[in-house]
Amino acid sequence: MALRMGQGTIAFALTELRVQLHEGLAIATSMIVQVVLLVFVVILAPSLLPYALLGAVVYSVFQLGQRIQNEAAFIRIDHKLNELYHASSLSAEGYFLGLSLGVLLAYLPPVVILLLLIELLAPLTAVSALVLTAVVALVWLFTCALGYIISTLFRDMRAIWPYASLLTNFFGVLPPVFYPIGLLPGYWHPIALAIPSSAAVVLVEAAQGGLVHLSNLEIAYAATSLTVEALALFGFAVYWARVTARER
Amino acid sequence: MAEEALVAEDVRKRYVSRGAPPTDALRGVSLRIDKGERVGLLGRNGAGKTTFLRIVSTLLIPSSGSVRVFGRDAIADPDAVRSMLAVVPQEGKPFFHLTPREQVYSYLRARGFTRETARFRSEEALGQMGLMEIADRLSITLSGGQRQRTMVATVIATEAPLMFLDEPTIGMDPFARREVWASLRRLTAKGCTILLTTHYLDEAENLAQRLSVIERGKVLVEGTGESLKRRAGGTIRVSITGGEKLGPELESFGLLIPDGSALHVVTSPERVQEILGLAVRAGLPASVGPVTLEEAFLRVVGRSIDEEG
Repeated sequence: MALRMGQGTIAFALTELRVQLHEGLAIATSMIVQVVLLVFVVILAPSLLPYALLGAVVYSVFQLGQRIQNEAAFIRIDHKLNELYHASSLSAEGYFLGLSLGVLLAYLPPVVILLLLIELLAPLTAVSALVLTAVVALVWLFTCALGYIISTLFRDMRAIWPYASLLTNFFGVLPPVFYPIGLLPGYWHPIALAIPSSAAVVLVEAAQGGLVHLSNLEIAYAATSLTVEALALFGFAVYWARVTARER
Repeated sequence: MAEEALVAEDVRKRYVSRGAPPTDALRGVSLRIDKGERVGLLGRNGAGKTTFLRIVSTLLIPSSGSVRVFGRDAIADPDAVRSMLAVVPQEGKPFFHLTPREQVYSYLRARGFTRETARFRSEEALGQMGLMEIADRLSITLSGGQRQRTMVATVIATEAPLMFLDEPTIGMDPFARREVWASLRRLTAKGCTILLTTHYLDEAENLAQRLSVIERGKVLVEGTGESLKRRAGGTIRVSITGGEKLGPELESFGLLIPDGSALHVVTSPERVQEILGLAVRAGLPASVGPVTLEEAFLRVVGRSIDEEG
């Protein structure tokens, strides 16, 4: 009966995937903001489409944190299923990772559709595709950590909902995710490059060449910020998952 | 000497929250359970049952005290004991978008069981809980009792060495409750150990080999159902319809429990004839039966409330 941690985590991820796949409408509507913004861009400023497409991919991944936040809170507050899993051989870290992976797998199809659109309308070079993969992975680490941590802070589902839209808009819409960083005054750049979502988009744009003009120092700053923030928050979330598996 | 599955000693829990006075949920609870035992934890709402259950199942850190599960320290090293535990949480619900079959199977897989064992155990547990007919319906379409049966099936399928069930049969019909009882008996026959809380006193009497009554965060009484009844002041109950009229005369015979139009007198077997004589002389119908655990519980806990004010 000894648990192989990987097996438990994958099994829980598949459980969560199965649960999420019943929410087909939620998966489909997760694209609404991206599609609406893309339509606006096509109508108002078609030249910005490559930026908006990359932004839509990063936004879609960033949005997973909101799903994780709501799902983890719902399982804990409404179903009490966290107790079923925490008092078992599935580790607290395995629970957090399984939940995050399950939500990721369920919400991958919209991201794949966006990638296909990019391939059709504004193809990436091999290097920028690699950079996109790396930054998307880092954004996922950041957002699932943020979502899970926030989910543990409340005892009432209704108290959590405002934070979901607040964070998604703060990280996904406000900074230069859907629009070029060049449209922001220069003094905002250090802040924009320190925000994981906009840093991720800017790095891909820089790798693609011609989409954004940044100094090497700014690129290094964005890459370092994104990497450090993602890894640090994810590390903290793993620790936090363990801490919150037992109430005080 | 029997192997000890759970040893909890002087477990205390104080909840401290800003702007409110601290609450002592547990004030030194000790409990020992041997391997293969079924023990019932009784108490009023808010007595501390769930807090205790959550502490011994590694879900809540106590303020002080010790908890050992099969000899291992569950407070200092919860990971060392979690694989030996399974918990039915109070008011827990299965995933709404899984079927009972998927719920049980996927939980076993997450616990590290092989596909074959998980499939076999989940079918067995679903059968025991009478869930086969609805095993492929989404839980969201099931009744509250059926969902609760799914939760119990999920946990009993693990056959974990030590199981904690917090009000496992709440919302179930009498048939389903008996299926749960039978399953829990089968599990302890296999060597599993069970600690459950319940507000159904008939359930506690039928199922638990030993009872522990908690009141205001302390163990009030521990023992068998019969010993609890003896502490109530008698093992026989005489029920007199319209017995209120005889109230003052009956006071010296034992505990009086008004119940609608009837008055129950909890007394000893040797005093039954005298009470029946009084009822007959007053022209009141009377019946005799054994004291129920519920009456004993009301007596024991009620006396404690009176004493503590």
